[in-house]
Amino acid sequence: MKILAVDDEPLYLRLLKVNLEPEGYEVITASDGEAALELVASKQPDLVILDVMMPKLDGITTCERIRQFSNVPIIILTARGEEQDRVRGLDVGADDYVVKPFSVTELVARVRAVLRRAKNQEDDITQSRYFVHGNLKIDFARAEVWRDDKQVYLSATEYRLLIQFAHNIGQVLTAEDLLMAVWGNQYKDDKEILWVSIARLRQKLEDNPHSPVHIVTRSGLGYLMPPLEEIKR
Amino acid sequence: MNSQADSKPDRSLDLRSITRIAIHSARLKDGMDEIVRALRSEMIFDNLVTYAIDSDAENLDVVYARALGRGKSAGPDASWGEDFAGQVMQAQKTLTRVSSDEVSDDRLKQVYLLGVPLRLREALQGALIFIRFGGPDFTEDDILIAEFVATQVAILVKIQKMDRQIQALETQNQAAQLQEDFINTITHELRSPLGFIKGYTTTLLRSDTDWNEKTQKEFLAIIDQETDNLQDLIGNLLDSARLQSGQLPMDFQAISLDSIMNGVVQRIKSYHPDMKILLELDPETPKVQGDSRRLAQVFENLLGNAVKYAPGSSVLITMAPDKAGAVVLIRDYGPGIAPEYLPHLFERFFRVPDHSPTVHGSGLGLFICKQILDAHGGIISAESELGQGTIFKIWLPSPAGMFSSQ
Repeated sequence: MKILAVDDEPLYLRLLKVNLEPEGYEVITASDGEAALELVASKQPDLVILDVMMPKLDGITTCERIRQFSNVPIIILTARGEEQDRVRGLDVGADDYVVKPFSVTELVARVRAVLRRAKNQEDDITQSRYFVHGNLKIDFARAEVWRDDKQVYLSATEYRLLIQFAHNIGQVLTAEDLLMAVWGNQYKDDKEILWVSIARLRQKLEDNPHSPVHIVTRSGLGYLMPPLEEIKR
Repeated sequence: MNSQADSKPDRSLDLRSITRIAIHSARLKDGMDEIVRALRSEMIFDNLVTYAIDSDAENLDVVYARALGRGKSAGPDASWGEDFAGQVMQAQKTLTRVSSDEVSDDRLKQVYLLGVPLRLREALQGALIFIRFGGPDFTEDDILIAEFVATQVAILVKIQKMDRQIQALETQNQAAQLQEDFINTITHELRSPLGFIKGYTTTLLRSDTDWNEKTQKEFLAIIDQETDNLQDLIGNLLDSARLQSGQLPMDFQAISLDSIMNGVVQRIKSYHPDMKILLELDPETPKVQGDSRRLAQVFENLLGNAVKYAPGSSVLITMAPDKAGAVVLIRDYGPGIAPEYLPHLFERFFRVPDHSPTVHGSGLGLFICKQILDAHGGIISAESELGQGTIFKIWLPSPAGMFSSQ
C-alpha cells in the first residue's frame, strides 16, 4: 500500500512518514499541490493525505483536480475552527478529514478505516490521467486541453463544461444538468449562457464548429460527447 | 449677451458629446465644467447650479455652481435658485419661474429660472437650475435641452456619490481586514507549533511502537524547539500589548551599547554558528540612557530577522557617535525589501507579503522594536534596495543629550 503525504511543512511530512511506515505503508511525499497531482498520476498511490493550507495550489483545489481523473481515497488535514474548509473539502470529493493539531493514533486509525472502505468498494481506483477523444486530449492533472497536439486555452468555466462531457461520454446531458453542474443551481434556467459557452467551446475545439464531432447537439434533448467509435466514421 | 441670441437657428453642438463627458469624467467638477462649456453655444444662461440630496436625503447640497454672465460680479447676492430648487424637488418635474422686482431697473433683480429634477432609476438625486437675469423667457427648446442635460448630470452626481461611498467602505474594510489578518496570522502561528507538539508527543506515546533512543531524542528535540517558538510568540504578544498600553516598565541606566550587542551576537552565533557577523565599533560611541534588557531584545530581533529573511548573508554592525547620541547600523546583504513596503515595516502585524509562507512570523517583532525605541526617546528606521540588502538604523540619545533636552 502506497500513501502520498502532501504538506508544505517538512516537519509534518516527517511526522506522517514515521508513523505510517511502521504500519507497513510506503510513504511518498510532496510539498505542494502541483507536485502532488503529478505523483497521483505517475505513482498511483492508494491513499492521499492532503494539507489544506498550502501555497500555490491549496489543498481544496488539488483535491478537486485529483477527482477529475482519480478515485483515490483522500484525507484532508484542516485547522480547527475552519469548518468551511472541511465542508468544501468533502464537497469536492475528499473521503475524510483530520483536524490539526491531531493525535497520530487517530490519524493512523482514519487511514486504516478509509483504506478498508475503499477496498470494499473495489472500483478501479485510478482512471487515466489523460482523456483522448479523436484529436482532442485532456490532461486532468494539469487541467490542460490539447487539440492536434496544440494547446487550447479554455476559461475555467469552459474547462468545467468540457469535463462534464468527458466524464459522461455517450450520454445526453440536458441543458439543465449542465447549467446546474457547471454554473450552479441559481443558473439552471439560464440557457443562453450555456449556448454561448458551447459555441465558444466548439470554436476552440472543433475543426468545423458548424458540424461538431466532440460536442454534438441532440435537438430537443440536450448535448453529448459521442463515443469514440462514432466519430471515427 | 443674453438678449435675443436664442433665435440662433444653427444648433451646431452635437449634444451627444455631453453623454461622453458624463461617462468619461473622473470628477463631477471636471464633467460639469465641460458640460457648461459645451452648453454655452446651445442655450443662454447666467448662472447654473447643481443641487444634490445629501446622504441623509434631508437637505439639498450645492455640488456645483458656475456664474457666466451678470451673476459673475454679483457673487452671493445674485439669485442662485435655492428656494426654487426645493420647489422643483417637491414638484418632481421641470418648472420655470420669473421673479421680477417691477420697480427696479436692475436686471439682476429680474430673475428667470428654469429647474429640472435630477433623476436616476426613478430616484430623485437633486435638481439642476438655470438662471437668466433680465430674461428672456426659457423657450420650449431650452427646456428640452435642459432636460436632456439633466439626465447626464444625474449620472455625474450619482457616480460621485458612489465614489465617496466606496471610499468610505474601503477605509472601513482596511481596518477590519487588518484585524482579520491579525487573527489569521496569530491562530496560524500559534497552531503550527501546537500541531507539531501534539503530533510528536502522540507519536512517542504510541503503545504499539517502540522508538529507538536516537529517534526519541530527535522527536523530543522537535517538541522542545516548538515549545520555545510558542513561548517566543506568546512573549511577543504580551510585550506588544503591554508596550501599547504603556505598562512595560523600563529600567533606565547609563549603559554601553557594545557590551549589549556583544552578548546578543554571542547568543545568535550559538544558534547559527555559520553566520558571519562583523562588528565595527567607534570607541568614541557614547553611553546611552536605556534599559539593557529591552535594547538587547531589539538587537536580537533585528539579527533574528536577518537570519530569517536574508539567509546566508553576512551582517555588518556598526556603532558610532551621532548628534548627542549613538547610532547603530545593522546591515544585511539579502534580497531587500520592496520600497512600497518600507513605510509599513514598523506597523503592528504588518508582514512583507512576498515571503514564503514557511517563514514564520507574527508581524510583531519590528513593531515591538519601534515601541521600545519610542520609550527610549530614540529612533528606528530602515533603508533597503531590492537585491542589495537592508539597513536598520537606530539612534539613541546619550544621557548628557537627554538631560540637556529636559
